[in-house]
Amino acid sequence: MSVLMRAGEVAKRPVVTMQGEDVAQIKDIVYAPGGGEVAGFTLAGRGIFSGPRKEVLAWKSVAALGPDAVMILREDVLVSPDEAFAGVSGSGSGSGHGNVLGSRVLTDSGTDLGKVIDVIIEVSGANGGQCDVVGYEIEASEALKTNSTKVLIPLPDTLAASAEHLMVPAGAVDFVRDDLAGFGAAVDDFRAHLKGSH
Amino acid sequence: MLFSDAKGRKVVSTTTAETIAKVAGFVVDPASRSVVAVEVKKTKDGDVVLWEDVKGFGDDAVTVESDEKITAAVGDVAVLADKHHQVLGKKVLSTAGAELGSVKDVEFDETSGTITGIVLESETAPGNRLIGVGSYAVVIDWSN
Repeated sequence: MSVLMRAGEVAKRPVVTMQGEDVAQIKDIVYAPGGGEVAGFTLAGRGIFSGPRKEVLAWKSVAALGPDAVMILREDVLVSPDEAFAGVSGSGSGSGHGNVLGSRVLTDSGTDLGKVIDVIIEVSGANGGQCDVVGYEIEASEALKTNSTKVLIPLPDTLAASAEHLMVPAGAVDFVRDDLAGFGAAVDDFRAHLKGSH
Repeated sequence: MLFSDAKGRKVVSTTTAETIAKVAGFVVDPASRSVVAVEVKKTKDGDVVLWEDVKGFGDDAVTVESDEKITAAVGDVAVLADKHHQVLGKKVLSTAGAELGSVKDVEFDETSGTITGIVLESETAPGNRLIGVGSYAVVIDWSN
């Protein structure tokens, strides 16, 4: 079973142990280099006066990413970034999908589709499962000719990204959806379409 | 039996036949999924009766050998009796990280002390699905 969610909705979600203690809350998502996948999360303390925490939560230590809480087995799975992201070079550096909010989405045929306002992630399984980046929520430009101002656009497995632009195949326009319902199927169709066209 | 039914029940000494206390609450150990002590209104000697010192948990009274069985909570029981580990009223999360509601009541077996059910707003989760009781939430391995 897989679930789609907006990355922005995951921020501030409490991190709760199976013993029922809220030990932290999600601050930011750390993307794996090259984009495509979520490597883990940076954390803040709980409560309005607590600041960021040194420890991070690696994706492999997440027992479940639920709608109301991120579940972990024990507090000691929170470790230093060096330990959690060993071998994940360049994490959080803004490369790949690292920091895409505000970037413009440009098709490979040169049309500006809009500005990225959120990242859509797909969680399949947990504990060894995957957490993939499958799309962006964008503030649509007029070129998209949609009725809604915010739309979801599917992404290929890999894409070229700079601080300024994200390049998507022009065909992505045909798989744009208004909401998360049905977007998973649109992503699958889009990726199948890309494979077929190469 | 439900915690709400048992609350307020008198605690009677089998030695003196006197009412020595009233049931005020329960101390739950999520690891063994059972009641480990009965809380009573504080007396000079303490405020809990360990479950092993309860002789009978009847419909009309809880019997103990004598008032000496009312003691101050120590060790693990003291930790679990702490208000952070109270079960009633607490938010309930599934192991999948979804909020299921809050604990309205708890069902337990009055002979063994085993928790048999966690009563939520509209349904009851089996007691053997209880995973943890913390300051933030009660965690159960259950989806509704």
